[in-house]
Amino acid sequence: MSVAVEFINVSKRFILHRDRPRSLRDLFFHLLHGQWRPPSETLWALRDINFTAEKGATLGLIGPNGSGKSTALKLAGGILEPTEGHIHIQGRVSALIELGAGFHPDLTGRENIYLNGSILGLSQGQIRQKLDEIIAFAELERFIDVPVKYYSSGMYMRLGFSVAAHTDPDILLVDEVLAVGDAAFQHKCLDRIATLRRNGVTIVLVSHDLGTIQSLCDQAIWLDHGQLQALGHPTDVVMAYLNAIARKEEEKAASKPLSGIQNDWRWGTGRIQITQVEFCDGNGAPCSVFVNGGPMEVRLHYRAEERIEDPNFGLAIYHQNGTHICGPNTHFGGLYIPFVEGEGRVVYRIPSLDLLEGTYLLSVAVVNGADTEMYDYHDRVYSFRVYPGKSRERYGLVTLKGKWWINAADESAGVIEADRLRSNEQ
Amino acid sequence: MVANVQKRHLISQISELIRYRNLIRSLVVRDLKVRYKSSVLGFIWCLLNPLLMMVVFTFVFTVIFPAGGKESFPIFFLAGLLPWQFFANSINTSTRSIVDNAHLIKKVYFPRKVLPVAGVLSHLVNFLLALVVFFALFPLFRVRVTSWILLLPVIILIQLLFTLGLAFVLSTMNVFYRDTQHIMETLMLLWFFLTPIFYSLEDAQSVLIGLSIDLRNLIYTLNPMASFIEAYRAVLYQGSGPCFMRLGVTGSVTFLVFVAGSLVFDHYSSVFSEEI
Repeated sequence: MSVAVEFINVSKRFILHRDRPRSLRDLFFHLLHGQWRPPSETLWALRDINFTAEKGATLGLIGPNGSGKSTALKLAGGILEPTEGHIHIQGRVSALIELGAGFHPDLTGRENIYLNGSILGLSQGQIRQKLDEIIAFAELERFIDVPVKYYSSGMYMRLGFSVAAHTDPDILLVDEVLAVGDAAFQHKCLDRIATLRRNGVTIVLVSHDLGTIQSLCDQAIWLDHGQLQALGHPTDVVMAYLNAIARKEEEKAASKPLSGIQNDWRWGTGRIQITQVEFCDGNGAPCSVFVNGGPMEVRLHYRAEERIEDPNFGLAIYHQNGTHICGPNTHFGGLYIPFVEGEGRVVYRIPSLDLLEGTYLLSVAVVNGADTEMYDYHDRVYSFRVYPGKSRERYGLVTLKGKWWINAADESAGVIEADRLRSNEQ
Repeated sequence: MVANVQKRHLISQISELIRYRNLIRSLVVRDLKVRYKSSVLGFIWCLLNPLLMMVVFTFVFTVIFPAGGKESFPIFFLAGLLPWQFFANSINTSTRSIVDNAHLIKKVYFPRKVLPVAGVLSHLVNFLLALVVFFALFPLFRVRVTSWILLLPVIILIQLLFTLGLAFVLSTMNVFYRDTQHIMETLMLLWFFLTPIFYSLEDAQSVLIGLSIDLRNLIYTLNPMASFIEAYRAVLYQGSGPCFMRLGVTGSVTFLVFVAGSLVFDHYSSVFSEEI
């Protein structure tokens, strides 16, 4: 395997021109005050970045805004040059950084295909050869001889993507372009990228859609403030990234004091109070991001000022769209608690979380055994995220873990069990 | 291909330009198409524009101000004006070329030199078309065409290189100081009058300043455009050979301007995408 993209100790510094003399007059005044150069700040957009993408690999870059993802992509595309370090690129690069960059509004779609194609490095002959394919892909047969200033933004995007995706690159750089357009167009883009990938094109992808990163990439890189935080298998990197985000959010939330017991998200008599709710992973470490099929633990910390007999602790899990998915409690689970007094905790352990990707909300409650007195109720205050793990299911809210098989009339139908197929692919 | 070699040699720069000739052509075609888009006559304006301008000047200089001294003054004048317009328009367009295409520079990699080159070449196309119209006027004024006219491509080529060299410097300066494009407007006006376009150098009176320096010679020596215009006039209007010594000096100056311009441009072009 040879290397297609290699970053060796790459750093990129930007100079933030503060009060920069944009004109000779300003320059004159600066000189008058004895300053050769105005004060300027520097910003290291990337610091000592090392990674390689092998030929044919798909590499995903994730990180918060301003983390240096786009800078890395622009460096790979030769639009920027590194301040320090070296970048080796093997092959022809095409960048899907801005769709339709270089379209001229007064020219027709067809003329713009020629213009944009040559900006992306195609020869006249190559463009002519691909013209029909590009037009067909963009679904613009009827409008191709209309100036693009009359195009809708969707048409503009489709044409831009179509030209860029037909340049036969060895290396394709993709920056968030998948976030534009309607669902059908996005699907088409993903499809095209998957085709290029099958054809052995090396892809470097920047996306905020972590699902896309997990399903498309062989390798992921997490950048934060220009530093490389993690590099490796997409699921691992995404999980590490999400945990970091969750930790930051929890820190923020912790600094906000909770108000009294009677408000619009919390009610009850308060004879038993739920003082803290914790989400933990399989090892009991706090965590707020989970994978489908993985373990999850919810811990309810309580405090009872007096002795209370036969309390019933429960949870309710909602999808963020409001659907109530389940409501387990200690009574349903067959746990009879004779009494509580003082502090303690109740734990609900899920060995395999069968919720599909999404954000879920959790309510917690404690009531008396007869369900006549609500001691404490927290209505959908807690949230956690679920990411696709090994499951390939994408529709709905839960996996039912059913098993498929086929009874073909002819025994030679060649049935392969889904499990075997899966293990072969991995 | 290694994308990030900081200092590329001039030769590999030029070979990259040649590889991107298709882009240069597309940009020139874009400029020309956009200029005449949504006009009824379209590309005919390429020829009609210079023709109408020549008709106006011919009318002015034969009917309103008949110029006494020169025979077929319109030819004399246009032989200077057309190359000058090529030069002035090229400088005007190419100075802004990097800034005007900021959206491209920030998003796509291609050799940045393509932009000023395309800016100059699109005006070269207009200049050549104007020359075609200009030749059509020759019979009208009974201008005798001699074989010296074969030198015309050489003169155009040298002027082209000079214009490109200057365009490289100015387009770079304009990225850092937008004042460049405004200052150039005034400078070009001054330059126009310091170049023998509606007069010939022989007619220009010797103006003595301070230390008895002959302003005429000074203009001549320092101003390559003066030398170009005189050369054009020699082969087009007088039907004689240009002064080869002067043209040689101007050619050397042109070479220096072109190389220096290229180096300046290459030195700064790697930061264009950050500065605009």
